[in-house]
Amino acid sequence: MANLANRKPPSLVFVSTAFVLFWLVVAAFPFLWTMWGSFKVEGDFFSRADWMNAITGPVTQRQNGSAFTGAGYEGAWVQQEFWRAVINTSIVVFFTVVISLTLGTLGGYALARSGFKYTFWLLMAALVFRAMPHVTLVSGYLLPFFELNIWGYLPTTIIVLVAINQPFTLWMLHSFFLSIPKDLDEAAMVDGCTRFQAFRLAIIPVMWPGVVTTGLFSFLLAYNDFTVTSMLLTQENATMIPKINSFLGSTQEEGKVMYAVAAVVSAIVPLFVLILFFQRQIVSGLTAGAVKG
Amino acid sequence: MARLQLKNVNKRWGSFVGVENFDLDIADQEFLVLLGPSGCGKSTTMRMIAGLEDVTDGQILLGDKVVNDLEPKDRDISMVFQSYGLYPNLSVYENIRFPLRVRKVPKDQHHDMVMKAIAMVELEDFMDRRPAELSGGQRQRVALGRAIVRKPTVFLMDEPLSNLDAKLRVSTRAQIKNLQSKLKTTTVYVTHDQIEAMTLADRVVVMNKGKIQQVGTPTDIYDNPANTFVASFIGSPAMNLVEGRLEDGVFSADGIRVEGLPASASGNVTLGFRAEDAEIVEEEAQISAPMYSIELLGEASMITWRLAGSLVSIKTNKEYRAEIGEVVKARIPAAICHLFDTKTGERIAHG
Repeated sequence: MANLANRKPPSLVFVSTAFVLFWLVVAAFPFLWTMWGSFKVEGDFFSRADWMNAITGPVTQRQNGSAFTGAGYEGAWVQQEFWRAVINTSIVVFFTVVISLTLGTLGGYALARSGFKYTFWLLMAALVFRAMPHVTLVSGYLLPFFELNIWGYLPTTIIVLVAINQPFTLWMLHSFFLSIPKDLDEAAMVDGCTRFQAFRLAIIPVMWPGVVTTGLFSFLLAYNDFTVTSMLLTQENATMIPKINSFLGSTQEEGKVMYAVAAVVSAIVPLFVLILFFQRQIVSGLTAGAVKG
Repeated sequence: MARLQLKNVNKRWGSFVGVENFDLDIADQEFLVLLGPSGCGKSTTMRMIAGLEDVTDGQILLGDKVVNDLEPKDRDISMVFQSYGLYPNLSVYENIRFPLRVRKVPKDQHHDMVMKAIAMVELEDFMDRRPAELSGGQRQRVALGRAIVRKPTVFLMDEPLSNLDAKLRVSTRAQIKNLQSKLKTTTVYVTHDQIEAMTLADRVVVMNKGKIQQVGTPTDIYDNPANTFVASFIGSPAMNLVEGRLEDGVFSADGIRVEGLPASASGNVTLGFRAEDAEIVEEEAQISAPMYSIELLGEASMITWRLAGSLVSIKTNKEYRAEIGEVVKARIPAAICHLFDTKTGERIAHG
């Protein structure tokens, strides 16, 4: 830090640090507030008398003898069988990600290496489909799904989510493949690979950051989707987000809102873990430029 | 046996002609250089040999086998790319081993073969590094090592030196020449640098606009260019070309008059001569015109005139001094002159 160019006036250091801290608090507050509140009862967290009750928790104290309670979690996970929703979400998310990535890498590679002009129009069409509101697809599919008697099942939802997600994965992976020089495929082919081997042995290892980043976005889309899953799934096949919504929708019963709060917190945790785990790949994937000559 | 024959090979994209009637017989163990400006079809020709580009018309024979419809992997060739084409996720050792792995060479032979190739390209100290941790010259040597690790019948090199700096280019060039003579493998080498072509080649193919302009040994091409394109492309500086008229064996244009040329031709011709074949003199001579510029090259000085619209340069000793605009005279013996038809550019006669 003795470097003259790196030296900053103390006032600037103070202001920028203060700003970052302020931003951090503003950004993290809703999460922290919800997480704290999920261990209270409804009377505290949604208290009309004093908002400080959500922090101190007098009602929780009165009801449970302690300032914290796991009642919300117990209600959501055990009584309302939130674990079922977790399993459903896992299935939907897993297959959506796997199918979109498989089709996306193969299709993106083909489009990136094809010299034909239709590539551009295919990608433009993909962009248009991606830009459509999700509900367009759902309302179009709803009647055929009823008639074919496939409404309410997980595979149906997976198909629709893949359809919504595919244009995006195709776009993203297409541009990742474009950043990999063609020489690499050609070198591999001259070295003795078939087209597919060249793709598998030479290109995919270089593509990992791109695949992980695209996979993460697909994951988030499937994980957070409400429109499709809420309209296409039956009550027992519901995924997490519609399930949480149904907790919120039944406020007449005391304490049920707390199930939603507890469930929301449960739903956030895997996201944190995932991003912490993959952060290196995500950063290198987002900043791209995987290979240079 | 690795004779490589191209029989009337054509490459067209729609109405665009990439390579036209390329007909060539490359002998076993020959070092052949394809030389030409960018976009002349030399790389396309090489890519057709490699199988990375389809042949529109004609045949490519490797040995006695027509390979037109074979996949690149089935042609038993290896190729060095301009941008190296190394696998960034593999170490130097694994990069060189890659062809053995995908071609299912028995595993117990891998180590010996890879180490031999590594020794040949002098990369022993860098075996475990990734390509990103190497300099440009080292990367190109990895690419060379990968090409020679299994014994292919033909080496293809697509401008392997153009991404290197000038000094490295000279040493790597020598290394390639040495490797090829040791391995005795038929080699096709693409470049736009005429010095590379002159130094490396057994035979040079000069191409322009998809067509072969001339095929010959480097000396042959340097001494007897077949047309004005070859004459202006080969040599540094390139051959001087002056447009003028030829009558009764006398060539004349603004500031230049050469006698004693063959009387067999007449009309509009282009006279060509090399900068090192002419000399500055005091008395009246073939060139007598105001000097356009003088440049000190180090080992010599270059005197330039502007004759009949084109710049003409000759080399003289480095002590020579003259002012720009001063009339300077030079002798051009008729015997060293080349005559080309101005309209077609084709060679007519030697002086």
